[in-house]
Amino acid sequence: MKKTPEMEKLDNFLRSSRIVAGGFMGEDIRDVDEVIVADTRSVERLGYSLEQVAARMHEITHIAKEGLGVCVDVGAGLKGCVDEAKGRIVCPWPHPASFDKRLTTVTDVESGKEITWSDLHIHLIEEHGFFEGIGSAMRIEPVKLITIIF
Amino acid sequence: MVTVFISVLVISSIGGVLALLLVLSEKFIANYGICTVDINAEKQIEVQGGQSLLSCLVEEDIFIPSACGGRGTCGYCKLKVIEGGGLLLPTETPFLSDQEQKDDIRLSCQVKVRNDIFIEIEKELLSVRQYECICSGIEDLTHDIKLFKFGLAGSEEIDFIAGQYVQLLTPVYFKGGEEVYRAYSVASDPLNKGAIELIIRLVPNGICTTYCFEHLSIGDTILMNGPYGEFHLSDTESPMVFIAGGSGMAPIRCILSHMLNTGSKRKAVYYFGANKVSELFMIDEIKQFENDLDDFRFVPVVALPDPAEHWTGLTGLVTEAVESDLENAADYEAYLCGSPGMIEASGKVLAKLGVPEGKIYFDSFA
Ligand SMILES: Cc1cc2nc3c(=O)[nH]c(=O)nc-3n(C[C@H](O)[C@H](O)[C@H](O)COP(=O)(O)OP(=O)(O)OC[C@H]3O[C@@H](n4cnc5c(N)ncnc54)[C@H](O)[C@@H]3O)c2cc1C
Ligand code: FES
Ligand SMILES: [Zn+2]
Repeated sequence: MKKTPEMEKLDNFLRSSRIVAGGFMGEDIRDVDEVIVADTRSVERLGYSLEQVAARMHEITHIAKEGLGVCVDVGAGLKGCVDEAKGRIVCPWPHPASFDKRLTTVTDVESGKEITWSDLHIHLIEEHGFFEGIGSAMRIEPVKLITIIF
Repeated sequence: MVTVFISVLVISSIGGVLALLLVLSEKFIANYGICTVDINAEKQIEVQGGQSLLSCLVEEDIFIPSACGGRGTCGYCKLKVIEGGGLLLPTETPFLSDQEQKDDIRLSCQVKVRNDIFIEIEKELLSVRQYECICSGIEDLTHDIKLFKFGLAGSEEIDFIAGQYVQLLTPVYFKGGEEVYRAYSVASDPLNKGAIELIIRLVPNGICTTYCFEHLSIGDTILMNGPYGEFHLSDTESPMVFIAGGSGMAPIRCILSHMLNTGSKRKAVYYFGANKVSELFMIDEIKQFENDLDDFRFVPVVALPDPAEHWTGLTGLVTEAVESDLENAADYEAYLCGSPGMIEASGKVLAKLGVPEGKIYFDSFA
């Protein structure tokens, strides 16, 4: 289907470096909608919903935050470390939403597998089903994420 | 199926054409001519109508804080529009309290200048200026924190209050990059008006910090504007507790220099937290203030010291150290600088120690 001017504008914005270095799409040539549909399917194929994934991310970040930068046990054999900078980062979608610049790194103590997300990522997944394009410096691979956090 | 597809295509095409017509008419047909922006009934500037109020002000070197590049999504660019701003837009209301709406506060990036317009800007913002700064030194403080020293070009001088911050304009340094502003607290002595020192921590994949750590070299010229912010010492004689971690050292170092310059006799204690001993920095320099100031105590705290580091000071989270070391702080004022989590956790501890909420100060954009 032909893109509306709004979709075109969002696509261009996500590919620009106005909010994050290198943009949110990386080298991905697919439309944003296609990226969202494909990643949502990956999540559903593993038996989860976007809401469940985001809720678990919220839960882990909430516990890890208490460590004030020191890594803490977040349960289920996982270790969580939070790294924060002052200032807010805004959602690239055209609506008012801004987040602390907070990164949560979760490690599966037994396997050593590790994944990092920002508070913005949780919102992007929860509200927009967006895990970022392939090649984006901070794309989250849905399968890897789910394997670690559940 | 085909009919549905064609209908969707037709409807979205009509929508697209209408939106395009609107944009074109705004661009080519609507000519608002030259409009006057009246600022605080003191200064009038003439601008080309049709642009956002924020762009008009920036063109005139009047700097209003902004973190979203004028997209109406950060809410930082508020100012009072007394007359001529048109109707409040739905994009603005989520950022404005009922009181602010009653007081005619608007988001300047959303207000279009289509006619003469009367606005009010806080006096402090009018004194914000842009400075050309030449990098004169870069020092490693920890594995991910550096001290950046800048001299102001020519014989320029910056007047700021200890605790305020500047905005650094990150130049384009990678393909497809864009200029962005980031806030940094001034770490240097306010009496040294020809220089600015910043303490910056590297943020993974961060636009500005990656530039500073990997691209900025001694001799390079960059632009900063400022000063901004309400974070500074009150003019009371109350005892004070400073709590900071990491690059939060910056404004506290500046405030201590200011206390020395002004011969302050206020009682003060400074808790500086780090995860490891190797993440502490400027310890000797800050310890020296214990000798130079009347009643100052410096308490570095390490959360998880390695036994090999032979740490003999306080251990645990900085908030735990404050709680056990300070006991009763009901008559204290608190100055916090660090991550949002640290500020939140410190707030809770200080409340327990009896510090009134109104006496706990930190940058509101933190
Ligand atoms: C009043 C004030 C004073 C300050 N003073 C200081 C100071 O003295 N010293 C200091 O070091 N800092 C200070 N800061 C913080 C500073 O302004 C910056 O926010 C900080 O340096 C990070 O900027 P950056 O451009 O490097 O990161 P940004 O580019 O803004 O990155 C922000 C976050 O986004 C994440 N991110 C990047 N790419 C993506 C992606 N594709 N998807 C999802 N998330 C992504 C990053 O990991 C990071 O967590 C201050 C802030 C304020 C508001
Ligand atoms: S500049 Fe961000 S809302 Fe106006
Ligand atoms: Zn959003």
